[in-house]
Amino acid sequence: MLFNSIDFALFLPIMFAVYWGIAQKGLRLQNFLIVIASYFFYGWWDWRFLSLIFFSTVVDYLIGLKLGKESVPFRRKMYLWLSLFVNLGFLGFFKYYNFFLDNFVAAFSFCGLNIQASSLEVILPVGISFYTFQTLSYTIDIYKRNLEPSKDFIAFAAFVSFFPQLVAGPIERATKLLPQFYTPRKFDKNLAVDGLRQILWGFFKKVVIADSCAQTANLIFNNSGDYSGSTLVLGAILFTFQIYGDFSGYSDIAIGTARLFGFKLMRNFAFPYFSRDIAEFWRRWHISLSTWFRDYLYIPLGGSRGGTGMKVRNTFIIFLVSGFWHGANWTYIIWGLLNAIYFLPLLLTNNNRNHIEIVAKGSFLPSLRDAFAMLTTFVLTVFAWIFFRADSVGHAFSYIAGICSSSIFSFPQVHPITTLIVLFFFLIIEWIGREGNHALEKIGLKWNRPGRLCFYYVLALVVLLFSGQRQEFIYFQF
Amino acid sequence: MKRIIFQTTIFILITGVSFLLILCQADGYSDAFYLKFTTKPQTNLILGTSRAAQGLQPLIFDAILKKEAPFFNYAFTLAQSPFGAVYLNSIQKKLDTTKTKATFIVTVDPWTICSETKNPNDSTNFREVELALANTENVNVKPNLGYLYHNYGGKYHQILFPINSKMYLHEEGWLEMNLRTDTATIRQRTLKKIKDYRYNVLPKYKFSSLRLQYLIKTIQYLNKYGEVFLVRIPVSEKMMEIENELMSDFDFKIKEAILLSKDYLDLTKENSSFTYTDGNHLYKKSGAVVSEKIANWVKSK
Repeated sequence: MLFNSIDFALFLPIMFAVYWGIAQKGLRLQNFLIVIASYFFYGWWDWRFLSLIFFSTVVDYLIGLKLGKESVPFRRKMYLWLSLFVNLGFLGFFKYYNFFLDNFVAAFSFCGLNIQASSLEVILPVGISFYTFQTLSYTIDIYKRNLEPSKDFIAFAAFVSFFPQLVAGPIERATKLLPQFYTPRKFDKNLAVDGLRQILWGFFKKVVIADSCAQTANLIFNNSGDYSGSTLVLGAILFTFQIYGDFSGYSDIAIGTARLFGFKLMRNFAFPYFSRDIAEFWRRWHISLSTWFRDYLYIPLGGSRGGTGMKVRNTFIIFLVSGFWHGANWTYIIWGLLNAIYFLPLLLTNNNRNHIEIVAKGSFLPSLRDAFAMLTTFVLTVFAWIFFRADSVGHAFSYIAGICSSSIFSFPQVHPITTLIVLFFFLIIEWIGREGNHALEKIGLKWNRPGRLCFYYVLALVVLLFSGQRQEFIYFQF
Repeated sequence: MKRIIFQTTIFILITGVSFLLILCQADGYSDAFYLKFTTKPQTNLILGTSRAAQGLQPLIFDAILKKEAPFFNYAFTLAQSPFGAVYLNSIQKKLDTTKTKATFIVTVDPWTICSETKNPNDSTNFREVELALANTENVNVKPNLGYLYHNYGGKYHQILFPINSKMYLHEEGWLEMNLRTDTATIRQRTLKKIKDYRYNVLPKYKFSSLRLQYLIKTIQYLNKYGEVFLVRIPVSEKMMEIENELMSDFDFKIKEAILLSKDYLDLTKENSSFTYTDGNHLYKKSGAVVSEKIANWVKSK
C-alpha cells in the first residue's frame, strides 16, 4: 500500500480508531492488531511475499530464544551464523542473484571461457533490505548480549512487520523499538499532533517536491543525449531534490504515523543538504542505515582504532557495502566509492567531526564560509547522484561528458518554472525549520492559532493540488 | 483524544471541500477528454478517434441538420477509442437510449480496425483496456471525480493554471487545436508524424478481425436508436500512402459494416483539398469544411 494513495487514506483512520478503541483491552491485543494491519498493509502490494516476512520472523524469534539460553560460545556463534545465512540468503537471492550470475558469466567470457547460465526472473520483494537489516540487528544484539531475547512472539512479529516503517525504514534497532512493544501505549496528544505535522510535511516533500522534480529529471536522464550541458546539470540537481524529497518524505510519513500509534522511531534525515562537508552529510542522510553500518560493520571491523591503513580500508568497505545495499548495479557501487573518496581526506586529516552542530544555529543566515562549504558539499553530492540515477555506468559517464561541453554555458532547454518555484519555498521552510526534528516541528508554534492553521491548510491544499500522477517511492526498489 | 479527532476531521473536511471546489473548475482547458464525461446522455453522436475529435464540429452539424437534440463529439484517440469492447461499452453508457431517431457519424479508417498486440485479436492486451474509457465508470456526471482521480493526466493545479492553452475542448465535445499554421511549422510537424507512423506505428499494426467485429457490433447497436453514417475523414497524401500499405483493401474489409449502415462517404479522394496540422489531423478551418460536407451529405440521404 502506498502512503500517497486513497487506500492508505482509508486504512490509516480505521486502524487508528480500532487501535485506540481496544487500548483498554490489553497490550497483546494491540500488538496483534499491529501484526494483522502490517501484514494487510504489505499484502496489499503482494501477498505472496508475506510468507517471507513470516518465515524470517519465526527463524529469528527461535534463534533469539536459543541465543538467550546458550552459553557455549561456539554454539552461540553458529546460531548467529544461521540467522545471518537465512536473512542474507533471502536478500542475496532476491536482490543479487542475477547480478552475480551476470558478472560471473561476463568475467568468464572475458577470460575466454563461455559458460551458459540463464538469469531468473525474480521479483524483488518490497522492503526486503529494510526488514532484513532490522531483524539482523535483533539477533546480533542478543549475540552481543545487548538485548534479552523476546519471549512474546506477537510483540516480536509486530516489531519485524510494523507497517509504518516496514517497506522503507527507518531501519530500527531492536534495542530501541522492541521494548516499545512491551510497554502499554497511552495516547499522547502532543506526540500525535506533532506526528500529524510530520506526516503533512512528508507528503509535501513526496508529492510536491519529489514527484515534480521526478517529471523533469526523468525526462532529462532518459533522453540525456538530446540535451545541453546546462540542461543536464539541471536534471542532476532536480534528481538530487527528488531523491531527498522522496526518501525523507517517506521517512517523515512513517515516523509521523508511528507517533499516532504512540511509537517513537529514530530520525532518518536531518537536513542533509545543509551539510558543510561530506562527513556531516553522512551523519544527516539516511541516518538509520549509516548508523547500522557503523554499529554492525564498521566497529566490528575495527573502526578507527587501527592505523591509517585500517581506517581507510574500513571506510571503503562501509561505503561500498552501502552502495551495494541500494541495488545490484555497478552504478550504486561507484556511487558508494565516490562518497568514500570524498570522505577520505576528512578522515585522514581528522576533520571528519568538524561540523557536529547545526549550521548557523540561532541565526537566520549562514556565514559566507558556511554558505560556501554547503555549496561545495552540495555540488559533490549532485555529482555522485548522477551515478546513482544513471541506468548504467556508461550512461553516467556519457551524462557527465554531456555536462562537460561548451553547451553548459547555454540556457537550459527545459524550464520547469513551477517546480523551481516550489523548490525555492521548500528550501526556505527547510532552512527556517532546520533546528527541529522535522521542518514543521517548530515553525508556526509561536503564531496565533488561525495563522498556524492557515499555514497547514495551504500546505495540505498544495499537496492535493500537486497530486494526480502518483509515483512509487524510489526506495521501494531497494 | 476526541478533541484531536474532531479538529483533524474538521481540518480534513475543510481542505477536502476546498480541493473539490477546485476540481469543479475543470474545463475545456484542463484536459482533452474531461468534458466528454460530464454531460447528460447524448442522442446524436460523432464517433471515432482523434481525427474525428479534432476534425468534426458538432455545431456545424446542428446548424445544417437542425435535429431536435444537438450533436455531441464522443471521439477520443487511436489509443483510447479504436473499435472494441471498451469503446462500445462507453458508447452504450453515453447514449440516451430513450430516443430512437438519432443520427450517428461513425468515422472509420484502417487503424481503427487494427491492433498493435502480438496477436491482433488478443483483447485482454488491447491498449485501451487500461486507459480512460475503461477506467471511467460514469460518463454522465459533473464533476466527474472518478475520471479526475483515475485518468487526469497532469497535476491538479493545472486545472487552475492550465499549461497547454493550445488545446480547448468545447462543451459539445469538439477538441479545438490552436497550433501554429505557418508552412514551415506544419511541414516540420507533418514530417515528424509521418516518420512516427511509418517507422513506429505501421510495423506494429495488424488487421484485427475482432476489432472489425466490434465495428459491426457498434453499428448494429446504434441502428436500434437511429441511422448510422460511415465516414472516412481525409488525411494528407503521405499518410494515405502509409494507410494503403497497411490496408489497401480497406473498403472491401468493411463492406459488411457499410451494408449495415445507412451510407458510406469516403472523403480521402479529396485529401489534397484540405489542410492538416500534422498530416493526420484536419486544421480547424478544413475541419469546418469537412463537417459541412458530411452534414450536407447526411441531409441529402
